Amino acid sequence: MDSLTALLEGFSTALQPQYLLTALFGVFIGTAVGVLPGIGPAMTVALLLPLTYTLDPTGALILFAGIYYGGMYGGSTTSILLNTPGESASIVTALEGNRMAKAGRGAAALATAAIGSFVAGTVATVLLTFLAPGIARLAVQLGPADYFALIVVAFLTVGALLGSSVPRGLVSLGLGLVLGLVGTEVLSGQQRYTFGIRSLADGIDVVLIAVGLFAVGETLYVASRLRHGSVRVIPVDRGWRTWLTRDDLRRSWKPWLRGTAIGFPIGTIPAGGADVATFLSYATERRLAKGEARAEFGRGAIEGVAGPESANNAAAAGVLVPLLTLGLPTTATAAIIISAFQSYGIRPGPLLFENQSGLVWALIASLYIGNVLLIVLNLPLVGMWVKVLRIPRPYLYGGILAFAGLGAYALHFNVIDTVTLLAVGLVGFLMRRYGYPVAPMVVGGILGPMAEEQLRKSMAISQGDVLYLVHSPFAIVAYGTLAVIVATGVWLKRRRARLESSPAPVPTGALPAVEAPTASAPDRGPHRRETGE
Amino acid sequence: MTDVAPVPSGASAPEGTLPPRSPVRSAGEYVFAGAGLLVGIGTIAGAGAIRVPPGSASVLGPRAFPYAVGVLLVLAALAVLIGLLRGRRGLPDDGEDVDPDARTDWTTVAKLVVVFLSQLVLIDLAGWPVAVAVVFGGAAIALGAKGRWAALGIGLALGLVTQFVFGTWLGLSLPAGPALNWIPIFHG
Repeated sequence: MDSLTALLEGFSTALQPQYLLTALFGVFIGTAVGVLPGIGPAMTVALLLPLTYTLDPTGALILFAGIYYGGMYGGSTTSILLNTPGESASIVTALEGNRMAKAGRGAAALATAAIGSFVAGTVATVLLTFLAPGIARLAVQLGPADYFALIVVAFLTVGALLGSSVPRGLVSLGLGLVLGLVGTEVLSGQQRYTFGIRSLADGIDVVLIAVGLFAVGETLYVASRLRHGSVRVIPVDRGWRTWLTRDDLRRSWKPWLRGTAIGFPIGTIPAGGADVATFLSYATERRLAKGEARAEFGRGAIEGVAGPESANNAAAAGVLVPLLTLGLPTTATAAIIISAFQSYGIRPGPLLFENQSGLVWALIASLYIGNVLLIVLNLPLVGMWVKVLRIPRPYLYGGILAFAGLGAYALHFNVIDTVTLLAVGLVGFLMRRYGYPVAPMVVGGILGPMAEEQLRKSMAISQGDVLYLVHSPFAIVAYGTLAVIVATGVWLKRRRARLESSPAPVPTGALPAVEAPTASAPDRGPHRRETGE
Repeated sequence: MTDVAPVPSGASAPEGTLPPRSPVRSAGEYVFAGAGLLVGIGTIAGAGAIRVPPGSASVLGPRAFPYAVGVLLVLAALAVLIGLLRGRRGLPDDGEDVDPDARTDWTTVAKLVVVFLSQLVLIDLAGWPVAVAVVFGGAAIALGAKGRWAALGIGLALGLVTQFVFGTWLGLSLPAGPALNWIPIFHG
């Protein structure tokens, strides 16, 4: 097998002591930052980007892989243990996980999430290993019109599917595209929208857009409506024995595999990333649950943590398929990773497996290694993550601002980037406040220039014949699928909104044993009720 | 009313029709969507000003894509505005540290913006560690940190650590500032 030998070679690179240390550091710091409340995977990757600036490409990508997987994993710890709803990618985990923790079964929830992430991450990475080279070989034959079709698909699905409203998603996408236009245009060398400012001639770095929207925008938004008072973390028993009982394991392994099966394919298509996958997995587990488990849904069913958490991680690996083989980012995190690749002069896409095969396979090998490191690190370190969760919020957000400033300044060692960062941050603040999703803007910022390049290449080939854009069967299929994806996506979102607005109707009186030891922390119910009135 | 209702008053559609909040807030929504519309119009207008090099071989010049982007933004912003007129309000983001019942605290936001802007002057004049101390300490105090000096002290420590890790160890050229430049390890 071709990919197997290549993978082994990748392992021989990634297992070198310095890269192993890099991976360990990446996983550790990724989890530590991902655990911090309010910091999702995209912000984790964006904030930690300066760490990679001076490394060699292989080391940087290995560090990145660790941070990416670590950040994904860290989010679930937050949503299980923190007494408030988490970010959208792991909010489904919070539905059951948070209730399990309140019922004194936090350790089991964390363990099933950790092992589920490991299983899903490993299976999905195996799938990536064997699928990616084939897809890359096919993708080499695609022409610019096909690429343009793919990018349009990515645009519209990301714009339409992320967030709660289609027009708002498209506004967000449009703003990102406008930012992507700024700078010197590649083909004819003309300056566009630079207003004569010299530093704008190089364009606005996607890192600035991402850090501005996620770190600065989020901080300003949280600051405007900060939850005051002490941080309530749900306590977890330390003992190893309570981690996963035989019964928990029996109930978890099927959801792990089902979550993987749902998450990976959804991650590979541009359908809103992990969000949709976790929700679908949750809905599936809830429907499949029988007997005792069924009654537990809505008050801490382990299946409802095991499934979505696996789906989340499988989707994270799935996102890497279009990223590595086509150069297409389908989530904000992927957009940041692409911009990191670009800063090394590496162009992800079909040629990557031919031109930079050593690098790619070292990256894929480090995904396997990162997964193992994650589980080794996380089960024993839960006590530490709990401490991290307790960081006083003024310090947390002060720290986020400081690191955002570092990320901006370290781009060109120029404070003009700091101004741009703040401006983007203010836009991000208003977007959160008025219900606009920010991820499409990041994706638009990086995909916009790619779309224009492919479009103009196709027009140059066809001498201006617009029909060239739909001349190949591939492009026709892509546009056809686009319609299907958007339709199903909107339908799924409606279902999800309905599910979230009507939590499992639980007959009172069932499962009194689970209810008994809770009460260590007040429920979020009464809190929410006030909003409704 | 059920016990836990993430979306008020049984909103089944993704965009809930929220009960009227303050008129200021809904005005803000119109202003933001309107600003989006203006950016779109500006993009279209600006596209006409892009110089097209004479005799360029490419059929599609540097103007076409900006026109398309502008049109997309205008259409999307119009759709949001029409939705607003029909009562489709945006749902503000949830977050672990966001208090859904809190009023918007504009003073804190303004303080944070000012604190962050201090970097423009401080990084070059006073050096990176001092700039971080001010950003971290200032932001923490604005957000209600208990001890002022503790916040500034932690900020300075963070500044020195990042200066050492990123400046000295990783080799990014962060200015150490006049106070520290004489120390060899911070000099890079």
